[in-house]
Amino acid sequence: MLEIKDLHVVVEGENEEILKGVNLKVNKGEIHAIMGPNGSGKSTLAKVAAGHPEYEVTKGDIIYEGESVLEMDPDERAHAGIFLAFQYPVEVPGVTNSTLLRESYNTIAASRGREELDPLEFQDYIQDKLELVQMKPEFLERAVNTGFSGGEKKRNEIFQMAVLQPQLSLLDETDSGLDIDALKIVADGINKMHGEDDAIVLITHYQRLLNYIVPDYVHVMIGGKIVKSGGKDLALQLEEKGYDWLESYATVNGEAN
Amino acid sequence: MALPSNVEPSVLHNLAKHAPGVESAFMKKIREQSMEALNRSPFPHRKMEDWRFTDLKPITRTEFVSMDEAGIRPAIDVEKYYIPESDRSRLVFINGEYQEKYSSIGGLGKGVTVGNLADHLDDKEVEEYLNKLVNYENDPFTHYNGLMFTDGSYIHLEKGAKAEAPIHVLNLYTDSVKPYVSTPRMLVVAEEESDVTIIEDHIGLSDNKYMTIPVCEIKVKQKAHIHHARIVRDSLEAVHVSRPIAYVEKNSEYHSYTITLGAKLSRNEPKVIQEDEEVDFTLDGLVLIDGEQIADTHSTMDHRFSHAESHQLHKVVVNGKAHSIFNGKIFVRRDAQKIDSFQENRNLLLSLDGLVNTKPQLEIFADDVLCSHGATVGQLDAEEVFYLQSRGMTEEKAKEVLTYAFALETIENIKVNSVHQLLIDEVYRYTKANNVDKVTA
Repeated sequence: MLEIKDLHVVVEGENEEILKGVNLKVNKGEIHAIMGPNGSGKSTLAKVAAGHPEYEVTKGDIIYEGESVLEMDPDERAHAGIFLAFQYPVEVPGVTNSTLLRESYNTIAASRGREELDPLEFQDYIQDKLELVQMKPEFLERAVNTGFSGGEKKRNEIFQMAVLQPQLSLLDETDSGLDIDALKIVADGINKMHGEDDAIVLITHYQRLLNYIVPDYVHVMIGGKIVKSGGKDLALQLEEKGYDWLESYATVNGEAN
Repeated sequence: MALPSNVEPSVLHNLAKHAPGVESAFMKKIREQSMEALNRSPFPHRKMEDWRFTDLKPITRTEFVSMDEAGIRPAIDVEKYYIPESDRSRLVFINGEYQEKYSSIGGLGKGVTVGNLADHLDDKEVEEYLNKLVNYENDPFTHYNGLMFTDGSYIHLEKGAKAEAPIHVLNLYTDSVKPYVSTPRMLVVAEEESDVTIIEDHIGLSDNKYMTIPVCEIKVKQKAHIHHARIVRDSLEAVHVSRPIAYVEKNSEYHSYTITLGAKLSRNEPKVIQEDEEVDFTLDGLVLIDGEQIADTHSTMDHRFSHAESHQLHKVVVNGKAHSIFNGKIFVRRDAQKIDSFQENRNLLLSLDGLVNTKPQLEIFADDVLCSHGATVGQLDAEEVFYLQSRGMTEEKAKEVLTYAFALETIENIKVNSVHQLLIDEVYRYTKANNVDKVTA
């Protein structure tokens, strides 16, 4: 479904590389976790895949469903089924959650050959999704993320994911800011959504989330590269040993990270 | 009745000789006072501190003529601008002249008097307050209005009277062969414990040049409430110079919302003056401008007694080569303690050629006060645009939504449904019409 090949990325207009040759392959039905210390490039990878205009790809490619997405705008990628749950969800005063979601749902539905829903149909559709992340219906009529607590914002991201039914979900530190109860609810929702036809990439600092969402693969990112990949046990090793023992991998190719 | 002028004559001084005659001694006196004041009030120029950012060319480079010489064309589709809530509480003026046939004033209930000022010159409140409340020193626009107006809105609420419907003051400006100057006038006196909502609308019916100089005097007595929405929808070639002044007595509330969409050049100078303790007032503004529009707000909030709460949120969206100017004066006099005053001017700059000048001006002489103020000028946030795009909206749509959201806050407070909806549509039209440059990263 997703293949990232030798991806090099800079912040637009700057020279310093943030990603220094990332390779990653994600197949349908898989859950991947990307872990790593602060500033390793994990979040950048997710944002670049979603088309953030702040970054420029200087080398390599991102292939999604057999085609390069590099020339696609963020909205086109969303239409193609890519979803990014933001680390810091943006407040949009004046636009209610339900308005944004219906608008999003219908534009994405139109481009993916699903049926568009009128406001009443949409109300019905959305009820189950609310229950999935245990959100109160009042949330629908509140302005998007405005005045939400950190945890509510994160939960709202997963709610949006549930409504939009993406094929590839990139979840950028969705676990941070959630207390243990909320984390369980969110993880439970993600597990229920996940099936054979979609894939999830979890970006996280901590192993904690992986107790609830079990990944097929775990990758460690340090210094703008994936330095080690393995199964779910790798996450436990990291929990135990930290990242230091992997630092050497980052410089193996002769460049300091 | 032209007197020798003490200042260099301007268009206003030159047109003064066309002042319409009046019969009542009361009005004659207003004319004389206005003439005398006009003759010592110089026309503004950019060396004056209060005018240094304002390009007055739309006035100085236009040959305004008297109403008689202007070749006024008839008003068309007047009914189109009615609002349903004010079906029986509407005053209509065309180029400043009262229109009985379009006005409808039967639906306000007991204790509310609404009509043409010219028909109420003998009312004791008119004699007491007309031209007495207005206080714009050395301002030729104000004095020109005093010299020229004959008709005007008069709104009076007796003690305890609650207007049963919002009062729509509909000022329409017609097309003409040559540019003219109109001088709408308004006097509002709300006695103790009364309550009224006023929608003051200014609409250009064509795309012609004209200048309108509305002067509005408001007295809010003890425990009275006034909600005052002012909508500037003048022709994009027009000049709009307004002077609304409100005096607030003990336990009263005055909330004003000025929405500026039209006019090539607008200069709004609202003032609120506190006359006793325990008052609550608002001077909010929303400005949406594009092309070569200039929108200038110079406001004054004068806290003279203790225990006042005041609020001023002035939001501006600038596109094209438009220019916004904001100068917000807040005075807190020496004995005015326990003042809670909020002022914020937020500007959204959508184009590279747009310009914003902003200056909060606080003069505080009391020591136990809470005055917050702030001014920001910014573009749409790239992260916000990306967020909406990642949810499937095009970049254009995302910018529309964010601009709309920015503007919405101010109009949320407009209580009259149809006007609220109309303004939402106007905001939407503005954001829609925008060919926003690529302003984000």
